[in-house]
Amino acid sequence: MTVVHYLNQFFAGLGGEEAADHETVRFDGPHGPGKALTAAGLPIDVTVACGDDRFALHEADCLVTLLAWIEEAGADVVVCGPSFGSGRYGYACGVLARELGRRGTPVVAAMTPDSPGVLASEGAAYIVPTTGNVAGMRDAVPVVASLASRLASGAVVGSPDEEGYLPRGLRANVRSEQLGAERALDLLLAKLNGELRTEIAPPTDRVAPPDPLGDPAAARVALVTEAGCVPQGNPDRLPTRHTNIWLRYPIGDRAELGPEDYLSVHAGFDTTEANRDPDRLVPLDAARALAEAGRIGRVHDEFFTTTGVDTPVAVSTRMGQEIGAELRNAGVDAVILTGT
Amino acid sequence: MSHTRADLEIAAFAVDEVVEGTLTGWDGTTLLVSSPQLAVGAGEPALAEATVEVVRPGDRVRITNVLDAVVPDVRADDSAASFPGVLGGTWDDTAHPRIHRLNGVAVLPVCDWEGAGLVGPEEFPPSYVDMAGPAQDRSPWGSTVNVVLTCAPARGAAVADVDAAIRRSALELARTLAATTLDATPTDVRRVGALPDADPDLPAVCAIVQVASEGPLTDTFFDGDDLRDLMPRMVDPAWLTAGRLTNGAYDWPGVRNTTANYQDLSLVRALDRAHGQTLRFAGLILAPGYLDTAEAKRRGAEASAALAAELGAAGAICTTFSSGNSHTDTMLTVRALESRGIVTTALVCETNGGLTDHVPEADCLVSTGNEDELVPAWTPDRIVGGGDGDAGRTIAMVHYLGSCVETGDGPWTAVPV
Repeated sequence: MTVVHYLNQFFAGLGGEEAADHETVRFDGPHGPGKALTAAGLPIDVTVACGDDRFALHEADCLVTLLAWIEEAGADVVVCGPSFGSGRYGYACGVLARELGRRGTPVVAAMTPDSPGVLASEGAAYIVPTTGNVAGMRDAVPVVASLASRLASGAVVGSPDEEGYLPRGLRANVRSEQLGAERALDLLLAKLNGELRTEIAPPTDRVAPPDPLGDPAAARVALVTEAGCVPQGNPDRLPTRHTNIWLRYPIGDRAELGPEDYLSVHAGFDTTEANRDPDRLVPLDAARALAEAGRIGRVHDEFFTTTGVDTPVAVSTRMGQEIGAELRNAGVDAVILTGT
Repeated sequence: MSHTRADLEIAAFAVDEVVEGTLTGWDGTTLLVSSPQLAVGAGEPALAEATVEVVRPGDRVRITNVLDAVVPDVRADDSAASFPGVLGGTWDDTAHPRIHRLNGVAVLPVCDWEGAGLVGPEEFPPSYVDMAGPAQDRSPWGSTVNVVLTCAPARGAAVADVDAAIRRSALELARTLAATTLDATPTDVRRVGALPDADPDLPAVCAIVQVASEGPLTDTFFDGDDLRDLMPRMVDPAWLTAGRLTNGAYDWPGVRNTTANYQDLSLVRALDRAHGQTLRFAGLILAPGYLDTAEAKRRGAEASAALAAELGAAGAICTTFSSGNSHTDTMLTVRALESRGIVTTALVCETNGGLTDHVPEADCLVSTGNEDELVPAWTPDRIVGGGDGDAGRTIAMVHYLGSCVETGDGPWTAVPV
């Protein structure tokens, strides 16, 4: 079993804030909290470290070096932190965990539940919750050591409730001893008796409506659709379903989207009528009319498109964030989003 | 509203072994299968050919382009009326039918629509059953002996004609296999007829089974007719057991309701068992899903809830057909039921990003699994059904037939990690 441990400059003994720009370094054996992990039954073979500011300002370069060292060591598991309540250190732990997760390397981290590292890890790490400062080290170390040992040996670990790590936002399939129908009946009878149980907790990511536009007549408005509207011939091969990409196309000074130039490749509805008038997919004609009447400022000069059918919610979320960032950078104030 | 049920007898035959030979027949607990004898010939002009092959659990085989699964059934009292409407014959509630059914065997029709040029690339997702390897337990048909009917469309045949021929041929094959037992003694006999009176103080519970019928290759059939204009209606659970409801929808296989699901709904079995013990089984409502417009969805949900209220239901269990669009139908139905004071549970599958839709009233849900989870790569020795079968690649759960089916017939669920 080969274990690699990631630390920041402080816990690696390289210095405090004055050493936050310290370059990436590699040591043999445990350093700092790695000694406590070793004592708890998780012998550390290699320690890698980086200054907090160095990682934040040169993330890509630091990752290349750290990942190469970890790969060279042949890590069976990587431990990041504990970073406690440190924002920069937690973020570095989360990003490193995410990248290792994409490469199939198990990672255990430890930090406060509100650390930016939790989101940055994108569910790749088993994150043990800690207090905001180093006083939580004693509680965190045995949990981290136990989880990491078992992950390194390929053993199955239990649920977040059983093991004490933060839910990773992932849902893993398991076989139940009861069929779905039997479980449904049990849940229904319990609910009829006043005991409410569910196998799926309500979602927590409901999107709050944005504030109204201050002055629509001055707003730059973009057109975005999940209706699969693309130029004739689908030159960029937008998938008809289950897509994981979005595309953008210039509008220029077009007054409308004509059927000779555009069509829908969406596999989730009958596109016959829409293809007779692609403005019903991307309402450029109506937006131009609003602009001409002075009710909106101007129409953004490109439209964004994808196919919203059979797309996992996580992929949709990612695409929405990416399109949103593009629109924000382009100075767009509002979006007309057409769905099917 | 009264709830009457046809009196139906199911004579089950446990199949210990399936042996391929020169004749099709029954020998003790062995099913004899003659593939040449069962191949579909000139009687179906929309098919160039349809060949039969037996695959068994443990075979290093991946079956591809799987359309449906059918339990071999035959009406012992009137063979022509098996799968009424599709194979011919009509249903008669007063006939007290007896069905002979093979256990442990399934008929799997297979067709490569895209390879035949009848659908576009990626129009239908890959549909697999693995008989060995890490995904063998994902599909229920990884553990049955499968009589695979591989269909090749005739050149120039219309897609609807090919589909009708395949469905007919698959059900015919199922009937022929079951008919081998007509003179044999069953392993087990059970009745699925009228239920005894139950304590009126027990809560009345109904099942709402969602189906969808959207057009060729995405249809569900009742007595051979598509259900594109279905409004929620009461159906006798015995009608489903008798093969009146059949599948012709070939979209996402993991969340596809197969004909086999309808033939033996675990939800009906569970409600039958509980009747008189913990509840009164008030009836089964067949409801449309995957509806096109917000208004149609609202109307369908309200109509289902109104029917449940007419049944006097205190509780309801909603199933879901496929994923995405239809989850909105399920959620609106839950909301409509709860707004009438009918306590509700629903079965839905999940994705890596959670649920496609959700209403606050859906506070009691059964997860039928995460359809996006990847199953480790596996390389079969042989592909049955055409194509490369994604051999050696990881495959999402949703591509395995019936893996996350939302009728309650599967064991899978998803848990947080």
